[in-house]
Amino acid sequence: MKLLADERDIKFVLHEQLRIEELSRYPRFSEFSREICDMVLDQAEKLAEKEFYPTNRKGDEEGCTFEDGQVRVPGCFREPYRLYCEGGWLAMADPPEVGGQGFPFLLGNACLEFLGSANWAVMMYPGLTHGAARLLERHGSRELQDIYMYRMYSGEWAGTMCLTEDVAGSDVGSLRTKAVKREDGSYSISGQKIFISCGMHDLTENIVHMVLARTEGAPRGAKGISIFVVPRLLPREDGILEDNDVRCAGIEKKLGIHGSSTCVLNFGENGNCRGFLLGEENAGMRIMFDMMNEARLFVGMQGLCHANAAYLHALQYAKDRIQGAPVERMKDPFAPRVPIIQHPDVRRMLMFMKSSTEGMRALMHLASYCIDRVRAAQDPGERERFQGYVDLLIPICKSVGSDLGFRVCETAIQVYGGYGYSREYPVEQFLRDCKIASIYEGTNGIQALDLVGRKLTLKRGQLVKNALAAIDEILAKVRTNFNLRDMVQIYDEAQESLIQVTKFFALKGMTDEFHVPLLYAKPYLDLCGDVSMGFLLLWQAHLADRRLREIYRDHNASDDVSRGKVLRENRSAAFYFGKIASARFFINQVLTQAGGRARSIMNNDKSALDIPDHGFALV
Amino acid sequence: MNIVVIIKQTPDTESVIRIAPDNKSIVTEGLKWIINPYDEFAIEAALRLKSKHGGNVTVVTYGPPRVVEALRTALAMGADDAVHVDDPAMKTADFLRVTRALAAAATECDPEIILMGSRAVDYDQGQRGAIVAEMLGWPHLPLAVSLESDGKVVTIERPIEGGKVTLESPLPVLVTLGGSHAIWNPRYASLPGIMKAKKKPLKARKLTDLGLDPADFGPETARIRITSLEMPPQRAAGRMIDDGLDTEGKARELVRVLHEEARVI
Ligand SMILES: Cc1cc2nc3c(=O)[nH]c(=O)nc-3n(C[C@H](O)[C@H](O)[C@H](O)COP(=O)(O)OP(=O)(O)OC[C@H]3O[C@@H](n4cnc5c(N)ncnc54)[C@H](O)[C@@H]3O)c2cc1C
Repeated sequence: MKLLADERDIKFVLHEQLRIEELSRYPRFSEFSREICDMVLDQAEKLAEKEFYPTNRKGDEEGCTFEDGQVRVPGCFREPYRLYCEGGWLAMADPPEVGGQGFPFLLGNACLEFLGSANWAVMMYPGLTHGAARLLERHGSRELQDIYMYRMYSGEWAGTMCLTEDVAGSDVGSLRTKAVKREDGSYSISGQKIFISCGMHDLTENIVHMVLARTEGAPRGAKGISIFVVPRLLPREDGILEDNDVRCAGIEKKLGIHGSSTCVLNFGENGNCRGFLLGEENAGMRIMFDMMNEARLFVGMQGLCHANAAYLHALQYAKDRIQGAPVERMKDPFAPRVPIIQHPDVRRMLMFMKSSTEGMRALMHLASYCIDRVRAAQDPGERERFQGYVDLLIPICKSVGSDLGFRVCETAIQVYGGYGYSREYPVEQFLRDCKIASIYEGTNGIQALDLVGRKLTLKRGQLVKNALAAIDEILAKVRTNFNLRDMVQIYDEAQESLIQVTKFFALKGMTDEFHVPLLYAKPYLDLCGDVSMGFLLLWQAHLADRRLREIYRDHNASDDVSRGKVLRENRSAAFYFGKIASARFFINQVLTQAGGRARSIMNNDKSALDIPDHGFALV
Repeated sequence: MNIVVIIKQTPDTESVIRIAPDNKSIVTEGLKWIINPYDEFAIEAALRLKSKHGGNVTVVTYGPPRVVEALRTALAMGADDAVHVDDPAMKTADFLRVTRALAAAATECDPEIILMGSRAVDYDQGQRGAIVAEMLGWPHLPLAVSLESDGKVVTIERPIEGGKVTLESPLPVLVTLGGSHAIWNPRYASLPGIMKAKKKPLKARKLTDLGLDPADFGPETARIRITSLEMPPQRAAGRMIDDGLDTEGKARELVRVLHEEARVI
């Protein structure tokens, strides 16, 4: 049973909604075609089903082990990691000049839906490596690229991102790791990093850390941070690898992603750790931000991945599990017992999961598509416009993907009942693995601040205006569809509520009540997420409605009976019907709440601010 | 070594199969298609032979335009070229006729060895390999779970009740592959492989191209016809003995049911 990700819906988003094939009009993607796209997706799914998923539970149970400074990953991770690297997946969306395969980023993330759903913990290793290699590609000297980048893009060596310290979590600017310039131009690095994903492991011979640190006399805060390339083993001129004084002092025991090592790393305990500056001194945060968008999208994708697997598993379970009588014969002890999918409350939960997952999928892939357009655009105006969409979408993708993904996992457990809570079934692991996504790569609270504090005000609000204009253009077509007019109306009201709150924030930002937008930044972000997904699902409903009507016409199905027959017998018809149902459910169940949520923000309730700290509880 | 692999595209083994309203075929609309898993073992075996002895691997298949996907996938795995046999006259041809066309297409490539899956996961007739060998007058080594060759002789192992038997044959020979995914571990197409596959030669062949007469493929020539398909019967739901009885009562009822209704004791 294929229960990792809904391939049909992925193809719907890629081909029918975003028309990925049309990217081939750009020179960068000139070799790309629909046929190739589908072959790549097929292989990703196969690799995920046959190699990744079978190691998911095992990796969770075995976890990583720490002994004598060495970290061992679950042994069963070796094979999927090897196949992934050998197949060229690690750099599939990077240009051929750096050893990549040159596929659209969107296709890369579509493949991640299968692979990440199958085993997120394994995906962490190449995921981190990719981010680090990309920093080298964008900002590394030729020499650094030659030594490190190619080996990382091929997966021969791994990489990490070392930001966090005990005093510097969300507040990265407070970090203390030191970098002292040496005579040969390199730097001596010393300090401790914590929570470093894949900081030490035995999948690769060498690990290349991207370390944020402070040079001597650097300004305080984020402005005084530089970024360094710090390999665990330093290649000498003759190619021999020398110890570079990076030690792992332990790994975390944690709720989920047990197969991904989370390490305490000590740099330069013996004063022998060398690092190489990336870009210029004090440019560390700017450089880091450069790959932040993709890293945050990766984490949003994580939420989507767990939601994928959780939904499809719950759906299958609901079809199999027999419990209770049908609603019409609830009190009749002689009534046959039915699969729980026949109970209205279970169907509601499944629809919540289906529509949320599909909404998230469209959201993530829209962002990926915009990233492709930024990379491929030859016209600076086009590039800037799409960059604007990306900037706006990223905090929403990261936060909605992780939070809603978690809700979907939780609902999957609910559908399973007691069995879902038990380790014997897979859904509890999806929930545990998912939780971290709302925390790392900037907590969702920090994402909300990024959205409200930075993105809304960028270019004096132009980003939002451009996005609304783009939405309007697409909706113009949807508005002509008579079948969808009730949904369009609810959407319009929800969007209007969002605009009202946006204006409210802009006004408050100029008064001494500027902390109100901070207080409600997260609910505002959630509202943005709902409206964006509502828009995307509405757009999908429009496309699906057209296709469904074509199918009915082809089958001469003009009345309910004959249409019912088509729906039973024709897979595509059932799929498109399901797409419209997703939109209808989401718009009626979620978007109708937008007005209330807007009100909850604009009521200007400051109880959470006014209450004295000891008023929370006398403890 | 010149190797031909004859493959078939079948519905994904995970698909839910539904019978079409004509009761003689299945609903193919919206179905996901794969290379028959046993044929994938054959491709893997061919690529291993090639990496040892050099040469050329050609994949051959028959079917509507969608089967080109299967050919491209085989090319992405590492095959060198492909032949797609299709002809309007073959729409109504039976299994034997189709096999004749495939044998002709394979012969055109002048192979020293032909590899095929021992069976296809769709109709599971398990005959095609034997038929092709018979048509060519070649030896047939069936159900291979291993395959070696020194370039002149081919040696295979096939499982038999309680053990394995080793068979060998000089070239040319036709081998059908048995075993399992775990035994053959067919390779995945790599991403560079997929890009290269696009540029590899893929020939389309009609019956006349193969020196065959379309008139020999009409519906009246069919020796086998499918008259109807049906699903396996649904298993009846189990019965719980409860009826508000105590343990002893339940046991007595169980014995009664086993004795009188099921008649097993
Ligand atoms: C499994 C795992 C893997 C990780 N991998 C990496 C990695 O590879 N590299 C790396 O560098 N780090 C990594 N981290 C660290 C992670 O990024 C941090 O945990 C995260 O940024 C939050 O920092 P913190 O834990 O110190 O929490 P804190 O910063 O203490 O935050 C606690 C709470 O306060 C809130 N908060 C903090 N400041 C503000 C503010 N200004 N306004 C509003 N709310 C605020 C937060 O939203 C949060 O809810 C990882 C962590 C884990 C658990």
